Order: sequence, then structure tokens, then C-alpha cells
Amino acid sequence: METKKASADPIPLFIPQTYTSTEANKTGSWRYLKPRYEEKTAPCSAACPAGEDIGKIELLTRDGLFKEAWETILRENPFPAVCGRVCFHPCESQCNRGEFDEAIAIHQIERFLADTARKNEIQPVVMTGEERREEKIAIAGSGPSGLAAAWFLTRLGYRCEIFEAREEPGGILRWGIPAYRLPPDVLRSEIALIESLGVTIHTGRPLGPSFVEEARGRFAALFLGCGHGRSRSLGIPGEDLEGVAEGLPFLQAIRRGETPKMDGPVAIVGGGNTAVDVARSVARLGGEPWIVYRRRRRDMPAFETEVLMALEEGVKIRELLAPVRLERTGGRLALTVQPMRVDGTGPDGRSRIVEDGPVETLEFAQVFKAIGEEAAEDWHRPPGKGGSVLALSNSTITVGDGSPVLIYGGDLAASVKSVVHAVASAKEGAMALDLLLRGGPENLTGRLEKYRVGDGPSLSMEIYQGGARSKRSGHVVRYGEINADYFQLAPRISQPRLLADERVRGFEEIDLKISANMAIREAERCFNCGLCNNCDNCYFFCPDMSVIRGDGAEGRRINYDYCKGCGLCVVECPRNAMTLEEEKP
Amino acid sequence: MKRVLEGSQAVAEAVRLARVGVISAYPITPQTHIVETLSDFCAQGRMNARFLRVESEHSALASLIGSATAGARVFTATSGQGLALMHEVLHWTSGARLPIVMAEVNRALAPGWNIWIDQTDSLAQRDTGWIQFYCESGQEVLDTVIQAYRLGEAVNLPVMVVLDAFFLSHTYEPVDVPEQEDVDRFLPPFVPRFQADPENPCAFGPLVTPAVYMEMRHNMAQAMEEALRLYPEIEDAYDSLFGRRYGTMEALHCEDSDIVFVTTGTVTSTCRQVVEDLRKEGEKAGLLKLRLFRPFPAEEIRRSLKGVKRVAVIDRNFSFGAGGIFAQEIRAALCNEGNRPVVFGFIAGIGGRDVTTDTLREIYEKTKEREFPEADSLWVGLQEVSHGT
Repeated sequence: METKKASADPIPLFIPQTYTSTEANKTGSWRYLKPRYEEKTAPCSAACPAGEDIGKIELLTRDGLFKEAWETILRENPFPAVCGRVCFHPCESQCNRGEFDEAIAIHQIERFLADTARKNEIQPVVMTGEERREEKIAIAGSGPSGLAAAWFLTRLGYRCEIFEAREEPGGILRWGIPAYRLPPDVLRSEIALIESLGVTIHTGRPLGPSFVEEARGRFAALFLGCGHGRSRSLGIPGEDLEGVAEGLPFLQAIRRGETPKMDGPVAIVGGGNTAVDVARSVARLGGEPWIVYRRRRRDMPAFETEVLMALEEGVKIRELLAPVRLERTGGRLALTVQPMRVDGTGPDGRSRIVEDGPVETLEFAQVFKAIGEEAAEDWHRPPGKGGSVLALSNSTITVGDGSPVLIYGGDLAASVKSVVHAVASAKEGAMALDLLLRGGPENLTGRLEKYRVGDGPSLSMEIYQGGARSKRSGHVVRYGEINADYFQLAPRISQPRLLADERVRGFEEIDLKISANMAIREAERCFNCGLCNNCDNCYFFCPDMSVIRGDGAEGRRINYDYCKGCGLCVVECPRNAMTLEEEKP
Repeated sequence: MKRVLEGSQAVAEAVRLARVGVISAYPITPQTHIVETLSDFCAQGRMNARFLRVESEHSALASLIGSATAGARVFTATSGQGLALMHEVLHWTSGARLPIVMAEVNRALAPGWNIWIDQTDSLAQRDTGWIQFYCESGQEVLDTVIQAYRLGEAVNLPVMVVLDAFFLSHTYEPVDVPEQEDVDRFLPPFVPRFQADPENPCAFGPLVTPAVYMEMRHNMAQAMEEALRLYPEIEDAYDSLFGRRYGTMEALHCEDSDIVFVTTGTVTSTCRQVVEDLRKEGEKAGLLKLRLFRPFPAEEIRRSLKGVKRVAVIDRNFSFGAGGIFAQEIRAALCNEGNRPVVFGFIAGIGGRDVTTDTLREIYEKTKEREFPEADSLWVGLQEVSHGT
């Protein structure tokens, strides 16, 4: 230490100063708590059946890195353009921001990223394994699960061939979901992306049950993603009368390009998404759609937003009416219905309905049946429990004796019937098959555990392939762990949409694309739970200047020589990307 | 230009005119209007200053220590508990020889919670090495804040400009707000005599051994003496530009008075009236308004009170177990004089209670009626209270 006397003019000034470094005093030895950078798992990503790395996607979007954000989705899901439109986005219901103001519009950003890539004809760089595998995989059905299985298995080094019965691939996406929700060119571009990896799709090639034997020696495994090919029957007299049709084939006909003329009142029996899609299509073709449903409107399994839009478009709903019989009366169809009422809750958790009063008869020009679908053929369905049957969360695997491994995926095997669950089943099946072919069937479920996102059941291909995401903790960050002081209230973007009377004029897509500005603004709202977004709070708050910022990709690190373990960095981290632990001797 | 300003606004106008570069404060009643006004000035671009929002008064002053060490002219304001929380940093500021200026709005200390005037908060900080001024009017507050920068920067000591809660901080009066160019002539930009330099990093205020600490403190004592010597020159300069001066104190009729009131702050204004009334009634009454408290102008006090028989010191403060603080200081200043007045200490207006002309007349009567006080401190206007639980 030196002391310095300043000049004596005008009055003496005695200021002690030292130019000696204090670096010799390694204050890190005082520490009994130790902070460290530890990225964790965002609740949205754990809630996404496809396990998309949503916090990271929003971070990249915020920075305008749209291509990288899109590629981050593609690692876990080949269908961002499709899912950005038709997914029921369970991610948003778990969004921590929802407890602060409103959840992030994750699906709108997802769609924006995919549409932007398509518009600019960008080719993605996707993570594939280095190894080329000898085994070939056959895939039955080119619906979302079959296509996704090809996407994941090809990236794991396998050669895949898809066998599709119809003239064009896509399954329910191509033939079931109306164009106003999913335009065909959007689907085609994502299928083209899958094909660009080298996947062969044989269209017009239905497979029969004998294929399992025929595949022996040619294919190591068969993935069955056949979905629901047949509508359930109502089981009432008169359901085969002329003018009574099934919902799904009607939607398929429209997707083929047919525009059947409709006139007068049309009944749609059922309450699921198919029923709503049929009703809205009827409205577009000039009919007067009436949904007739056994339970209450709020019990309808269809997505709530779809129901609301249907009502806006003029669809009417008659609730608590169970169909009894159908008869022809002159040029009309008389639908006799039994009024019902709710009487408590049934064992399945849904409302229990009982008959309530005398039957009534309603007259319609046409009637559609849309009470649900089932497998077209028995062999499409996964087998029940047995020695060689392994039932996973969203897929089922049977290991035969020399015959190909059978993987059942898609709607017939998944826990929930949705596009994103089909992707989840394909990923689970692909990863399980890879583990099986490489290491045998021992403890397959246990070996899959390592690749779960957070507390599961979603799986991550990036983690499976050893990407950066595998370094994160599986701890799912909850709202209480967010330092909300660092965020300001900001409204969620709204969905630009055609007006109701514009919609019913045709099958134009209803939801419009958002601008890049809106996408960035929305992504900026994201807390990026558990992920470091380089906000530098740790750096600014560290009283010991022990947070070191790297110049490049190394990011931030802590200089433990001087870190006293005060924990300020951890407390001030807005997004819980740091952890404070007891110092271990 | 004459404007009708609140005392708090007068402080803020002075800070603006002093071209302060960094303001750091934590809100506390009754000081809040000062920093609110300054915050507006910053937001409107009327001041080119950084306004730091901090989490406590301790941090407010600590951040100014950094800013002043870096060479900025800085300001903060506080009251009561806020000043108490700053205590440690008050010592550091003066020891580090940083000419920080603070507006201190006198507020009673808790418990019980009381936001009204009581001088004990600032007087409890009398030994921290800060220069202290006590002000009577909005105009005086404005002028004193501008002078404080020049004085503090000349001797490298911090300055506290003290004003009464509400009676001054929240009272509107006509105030002459000087032109910026005139203030610039009086107060040139701050040229620090030492400064943190990123090119040549060093630590200020490191470990200092018994070999030098005493000299450091003696150096501060010299600076305080220098401030007392320098202040009249600074006032001369101010007076020549703006035509106003206040002195370290103001003596009114003291030369021919038997009894002299000693006052600080806004009580002075009331006392001026009482003294004029008493003189009209033939009483030989006078007034000594004390303004500069640290450094304490003992010599001038002795001079002003020469020939006076009795002194009635009014303390809006109390040192428990000793008495009114100004009375103690006046006694100490007079004790070595051969022919010295008798000092009567009165405690009045504690915690915002009014000190009216009647209160002051009662004090005058009590001083007049006895040759010597019946106690060191006489509490005026106490009410009968029931000490029920």
C-alpha cells in the first residue's frame, strides 16, 4: 500500500490510495455455497408430446434466427407447419407466462417459422447420425406417425420405405383435416422435406396382413401407423338409408376436390373434431349444419376453438339428444332423438347421461354420422399384453422370432389421438427400435428414460443424439422459480383471422400468418424458463466480479477463486438457469 | 425570475442549476417531492443527469460515493429513518473527502411513526464530518444548495442542507430562481482534485495504520476550519451576483438586548415577529438565528452574544440524558467567557408540534422571570398524558 499526499494548494488533502492488487486474496475460500450455471427444462417443452425445445426456439426467434429456430423444431418434429396449425398446443397450457399474464402464442410462432422457411425455400440442416445402418425399415401408412417414423429412423441411419394405400401421402392430414385448417401445399412441403432425406414413399400400395411374413429377410422392422380407417356405426335403425353418410369419407371427397352441393338442414351426429369439420364443410357448401350431440356442448371432445369458430360460421348445436332411429318421410330424413339429461359423473370421468322425457323427431335433408372412427383392419391394432409385447407410452413393440420387429404407432397406439401424439409415438418407436437393434430387448423402457424431456413422457431426439440439450437438467422450472421482477406485462399477440362471412365462402385457410415483427415481439415475451439467454444479470450483480463472459460460444463461467458464494447471481437470474448448492469439501 | 415554489421544488431547482450529473435517492416522506421533481427534470431532458433508482438510502449514498469518485457532481436527499440508515456511509463520504451535497428534510425518528419535523435525525449525524446548514425559507434553501457545492468542492467535504419537514419542504413561497448563466459564473464545473482512473486503477480508502490514520483525521479537521474561514468569501461572491447573503448566523438586535432567542429553521420566522412585538412593548429582546452548525461558528456566537444577559435556546430535538443539542453547543461555546450570558434551554415543537407566538412568549417569560434556569432543559407545552397500556 502506498499513501499519497496531494498538493497543499489550496488546502492539504490526505487521500489514502493503493495500487496493489487484491488478487492475492482468494476470497473463494470463504465460500460455503456454490453457484453454477445449470440449464433446466422449460415446462412447455416437457408438456409438448414431441418434446420440442420451445424455450430455445423462442430465444432464437427473438434474435431473428428464424432458420435456426425452425431447425430446432425439426430435430424433434418434422411437422412444424402442420402442428403450428392443427396442434391443440398442450405446451401453452403449461406456459409459466400464463401465471404472469398470458401464455406465449407458441403455435403461432411455430407456424411462422415453418411458413417463413417454406416461402424462402430454405433447406434445413438436420442432425443425423454418422452411422449408416444396414437394416431396412418398412412403414405401413403415410399419416403423421408413419411419416414421422421415417423422419426419425432415417436420421438414425436406417433406410425407410413407406407403403401408402391411397394415391397421395399424408393420411389424416391429407384426407381428413379440411383445407381451411391445413392447406394441402403446406403438408406437401413438409412431406417433401421428409422425402429429401432419402425416404421412399410407395403410393397406391396397400399392405395386407401377409406382409409381415413377406417382409421377413427384407425388412428388419415394420412400423404400423395405419390409423383409423373406418367410421363407427350408430347402431340404430335406418342408418343405411339413402342420404345418410359417414363423415370421414365426406371430408375425403372434399379433399379430393369434389364440391357436393348442399341444401337445407343437415344433421351431423357426433361431437368430435370430425363432426365439427363436417359441419363447417357443410356450411361452406351451402347446407345448414346442425350438430346433434348426446351430451352437453361443453362435453364435446372437439377442440374448443374449433367449436367456437363453427358457431361463428353458422353451425348450430343441439345438445343432449341421442339418436334413436332414421326414417324417410317424403324427400326428407326424419331423425328421431331421445332427449337426455346429465346425472352425475360416470366411471370414465365424463358426465353420465340418462333419458329425459319423450322422444322427438327432427327433419333433415341429409344426415352425417361422425361419432368416431376405428381401425379398418384388425391386424392394424396393437396386440394386448404378452411375453413379447412391450407397451410403451405412445407405441407398442413386438419382437418376433426371426420375423420383423413390429412397431405399432399413431392413433391406434398413442395415449391421445392427435397429430403431435402421432409424432411422439413415431419418435418413441424409432428410438426404442434403434436401442433394440443395437443392444437387444433388455430393459428397453429403462434405457429410454435417459432421453426423456423433464419428467416425461416426451422424448428428445437431440438428447438421444447427444446434442447440446443433453447437458441440461431434467428439472422442470415452475413459475415460482422465475424472478418475475424482471418482466413487464405485455399482451399476447392475437391470431389474425378471416371474418366469419369470408370463411364460409370457401375452403381458404382461416388463420393468417403473422409478421416477423409480431413473431419477434411474441418471442420476446418468453421467459426462456431454465435457459440462459445471455441477459448478463449474473455479470452485473456479481459483487466480486467473478462472472466471466467468454468471447465466443463458451458463454459465461464463474471464477471460483474469488466467488464468495453470496448467491446473488442465482437469485437475480430471471429464468432459473443457475443453481446454488452447498459447497462440497 | 420569481416563482411560487414549494421548499422541495426550490431544492430541485438549485440542483438543476448546479448542473448535477448523478442523482441517487430512495423515496421517503417528506423528502420525496425533491427527488420526484428531479426525476421529472431528468425525464423531460431539463437536466443532463443520471437518476439512479436504488433499493435503500444506504445504497443511494454508496452509489454516489462511486459516482463522485469518478468525478461527477452528485446529489441525494433523505429524511429521518433514511438518514439513520445512511449513517455508516456518511462517515465514509467525509473520510473519502467527497463533496457530495444532500438535502435533509428533518423528520422525527420512529417509533412511533411520525413524518413531521424534529431535528434529532440530522443532529445525531453531527459528528460524521459533514458540513451542516439549517434553513429558514425556500429562497434560503435554493441559495444554500448552490453555495453548498462551491463550499464542499473547495474543502473536499460533504454538505447537508437541512430543512424542516412540511413547514418548509411542503410550503409554497415566492422564490427568485436565478438564471443558469449567472449560476454558471458562480459555480464552475466540478474539477475533482483526485479521481478514479480506469487507465491506472487503484483502491481508495484501503487499510490505514495508526501511523497515518490520525493525520487523515486531522486533515479533515483542518478542512472544516477552512470551510468556516472560506464561507464568508463564498457568500461575498454569491451576494455580488444575486444580491443575497445569510451569513453563518444572523444576529437581530443582539447588540442592545438583555434576552436573546437562539433559533434554527422555520421557528426563526415566527420568532422574528415575537421579537419585533416585544421590542414595541419596550422589552430588550433579540434573536440569533443559527444557520451553519458544522463547522460550528463559536467565535462569532461569542461575539454576537457579548453583553447579553440571558439566552433562550429553542431546541426542536433532544439528546436523551443530556438535553437540547443546540443549547449544549451554545453553552460549550460560551463557557470560557468571563462575562457570559446565562443559557436557558427550551424543548419545543418536537415531532411536528406547532411552535406559535404564544409558545415563544411563554419561553420569553420563563427566561425573564428567573435569574437561572430551574433545569438544563425545560419542555414547553407538555400536555397531561395518561400512560395507560
